Amino acid sequence: MADLLFLGLSFLSIGGALAMILYRDPMYSALGVLISILSVAGIFALLNASFLFMVQIIVYAGAIMTLMLFILMYLNIREEDLPKEPNKFKLITLGAVVMIPLNVLVIQAVAKLPSKDLSLTNTDFGDIGPIGLVLYNNWLVAFELVSILLLVALIGSIVLAKKRTKRVKQEGEVS
Amino acid sequence: MISLTSLAFVSMALFSIGAIGVISRRNIFVIYMSLEMMLNGINLFLITFARYHFNMDPQVITIMVIAIAAAEAAIFLSIIILLFRSKKSLDTDVFTTLTQGEK
Repeated sequence: MADLLFLGLSFLSIGGALAMILYRDPMYSALGVLISILSVAGIFALLNASFLFMVQIIVYAGAIMTLMLFILMYLNIREEDLPKEPNKFKLITLGAVVMIPLNVLVIQAVAKLPSKDLSLTNTDFGDIGPIGLVLYNNWLVAFELVSILLLVALIGSIVLAKKRTKRVKQEGEVS
Repeated sequence: MISLTSLAFVSMALFSIGAIGVISRRNIFVIYMSLEMMLNGINLFLITFARYHFNMDPQVITIMVIAIAAAEAAIFLSIIILLFRSKKSLDTDVFTTLTQGEK
C-alpha cells in the first residue's frame, strides 16, 4: 500500500515539475508547482516527518504559492507581456545533457550505501514535540538568525511596496 | 519500493528540473518557481537522510529552508511587481538595468 502511494506521489511530483517548465502560461506553471509541492508533502508523510508534512502544506502550498497565484492574477498578464522563447526546447535539452551526469553520479553514490528499512514506524520520530526539543536545544542560534531574517524581509517588502510619490514628482519637474 | 535510491532519484529529478528551468526559461515567474522546485528537491533529500539515519537534525534544517523560502518569496514578489509596473514585461532580458530613470 505504501509502495503504491509512493509510486503515485513521485509520478505526480515529477509530472508537476515537468508541467512547470513546459507550459508557456505562468498560471499553468504555478498549478503544476502546486501539485508537485503537495505530492512532496505526501512523500514527507511517508518518511515519518509528520510535522514537516503539515508545514509544507501550510507554508509552501498555503502561503507561498497562494501569494504567487494572487500576484499572477493581480498583475493581469496578457499574452503579449509574456516573453518570446523561440529556442526553449533546445535550451531544455542542453540543460538535461548537463544535469544527467550529475544525477547519475549522485544516485550511484547513494546506491552504494547499505540499505535500511524506510517504512513507517510507530515511534514519535518527526512529531512536533521532539522536533521542538532539537530545535531549541541544538539549533537556537540558527533559529534566532532566521527570525531576524524574517523581520528584515518584512521591513524590506514594506519599503518596496510603499508609494514613492515625492520622487516621481521631482523627476517630473526635472524632465 | 521505498528505497534510498528511488527517493534520491525523485529528489535529484526535482532539483535538476528546477536547474533546467532556471537555465532555459526567460519568464521571471517561471524562474522563481524553478528556484522553489530546487529547494523542494533539497528538502526531500534532507528528509530522506533524516529517516535513514533516524536523526532529527535534517528536519530542523528543512524548517529553516522553508522559512528562508518564505522570506525570499516576500522580497522577490514585491520586486517583480515593481519591475512589471515600470517595464510592462516579464522578460528577464528587459531587466538588465535596475535604474529607475529611462536611459
